[in-house]
Amino acid sequence: MSPQRLSLNPRSLKSRFTKGFLRSLRKIHKERPTSTSPREIFQRYRKVKTAADKSLASAVGSGRAWSRAMLCKCKNQGKRRPVLVRRINNNRAMKRSELTEKKSGDDDEEVGFDQASGLRKLVPGGQAMDLCRLLEEAAHYIKCLNTQVQVMRCIADCYTT
Amino acid sequence: MNRAAAAATLLPSEMLHCADMTVLERQRARLKWEQEQQQQQQQLQESYFGDLGGVVFHQVTQQGEFEGGLGEVVTRSVKPDPGLVDNSSAWIAHDVMAGFVGACGYGNGTGSGFDMNYGIARTTSCPPTVVAAAAAAAKGKDSVGSDSKMSSAVGRESFKKRKADKVVAEDDTRDKRIKGCAEEGESKITEKNNNRSSSSSSNQNGNNKSTKSSKENSAETSKDNSKVTEVQKTDYIHVRARRGQATDSHSLAERVRREKISERMKYLQDLVPGCNKITGKAGMLDEIINYVQSLQRQVEFLSMKLAAVNPRLDFNIDNLFAKEAFSACATNFPTMGMSSDMTNPAYLQLNSVQQQLVSCCGLDMGINPPDMGIRRTISAPIPETFLDSSCFTQIQPPSTWDADLQNLYNVAFDQGRSTSFPPQAFAGSIEASNMKMEM
Repeated sequence: MSPQRLSLNPRSLKSRFTKGFLRSLRKIHKERPTSTSPREIFQRYRKVKTAADKSLASAVGSGRAWSRAMLCKCKNQGKRRPVLVRRINNNRAMKRSELTEKKSGDDDEEVGFDQASGLRKLVPGGQAMDLCRLLEEAAHYIKCLNTQVQVMRCIADCYTT
Repeated sequence: MNRAAAAATLLPSEMLHCADMTVLERQRARLKWEQEQQQQQQQLQESYFGDLGGVVFHQVTQQGEFEGGLGEVVTRSVKPDPGLVDNSSAWIAHDVMAGFVGACGYGNGTGSGFDMNYGIARTTSCPPTVVAAAAAAAKGKDSVGSDSKMSSAVGRESFKKRKADKVVAEDDTRDKRIKGCAEEGESKITEKNNNRSSSSSSNQNGNNKSTKSSKENSAETSKDNSKVTEVQKTDYIHVRARRGQATDSHSLAERVRREKISERMKYLQDLVPGCNKITGKAGMLDEIINYVQSLQRQVEFLSMKLAAVNPRLDFNIDNLFAKEAFSACATNFPTMGMSSDMTNPAYLQLNSVQQQLVSCCGLDMGINPPDMGIRRTISAPIPETFLDSSCFTQIQPPSTWDADLQNLYNVAFDQGRSTSFPPQAFAGSIEASNMKMEM
């Protein structure tokens, strides 16, 4: 948000995200040329949302836990057999969350269980982190979300004007 | 993953280091020896070392006696050498004693007491090193000039092992499984620390305690600076345990963890706007959650907007900035004129547009996302002064758009913030919401 972070450096997170997002946006619009039926628009909305998430996560890379989780989620969303995949994932996630509940029970006591679990749900992949890690990832995630919102707003403005 | 884990293992030791600086400040008089190590790390001048070199030497002799004589540590260490000053030797004896008492307290209850067997039994993982070091130190008391190099090499070797031990200890701390293992590592470290310092100052002994020797000592310590740092860190853990407040390793790890959490919280506080006024972790966490939610809803809203608009496919990243500049100029000219002539209409228009949107969205409960998105943008901490500052932000961009390209994002962002809901977007979002109603 501060002007000194806004650079057009081609290796910056922002430009990488912009590049990837625009590419996938163009692909989305190309495969289904303009249609105004609500269903189409809704489907396209889902696709755009997924594309935004995916391009952000791939711009960040696999160095962060949340981006890895997000990429994994996007990959699973695009699969043909969503029911099966989801069931397996749910099982695994349940087990993992049970484990983490046990392990990080005292973590959450001091800050309040509700808040910690709320943040866990918001940060992708947050179910399997302890509190320290969760806060670290949340900080990075907030930064990246800020960038994402900024870029998407720019693109939307350019589209509409 | 591995990198992050490594960073995490590095962090606690640093934090221990920082935390224990203050502890040392408080216990300055008593922990003369640690203070000397600290000064060595900071590479201070030789004059100070000239004072303290003697102390090191005293300690070495004490150490040599300690390792040479079995079971007579108490009497020997209290008994000073003829050449020593009573006061300082008493201090050192106290330190050595305390160190070994601490080491034994850390131990798994082998109960071997203060004799040589203890030292060997503790270091079963690398017995030859320690024995050699001990032998070197004992020899070093008599005639050292040649042995000093060997013993320092041994010290170096033991440093590597110590590092490995330390990593193990840190991992265990992270996993909250510290029992005997971490403590074993600590006590081992303490012993090796003693060995190392004895080797370094046996070198001094060989040089007949002159001022030159103190210089050399300082040079050597500056050369082995990283080692000293490592030694210090581990020694700090030791000091913490001795303080008496939290003697068991669980509360030590707990304290480290809590410090880490509060550090992260501070960082997040800087990151989330409007979080500075809130005190208390729960409130801060609430605010962070709200902010993340608002950002995610903004993303949803914007992607809905992007899905609804008719795209221009000739659009790519190369001319994004140029178009941004163009659109920023084009849209800012009229708004600037408006805001300079009649600021109120702009304000009213914006307001009415918002009302329209809210009323549109209020038609159905199923259209939550855009509604919430808008509410969020209004209630989110950045655009808090949305309506009040709208005129101001509209005046501002023309001063910046003729600057270089780097400001374009900023301009577009300002513009997007001030006139963030143009009519076409409403059409899009209303369409989307209609669609939702149908579904």
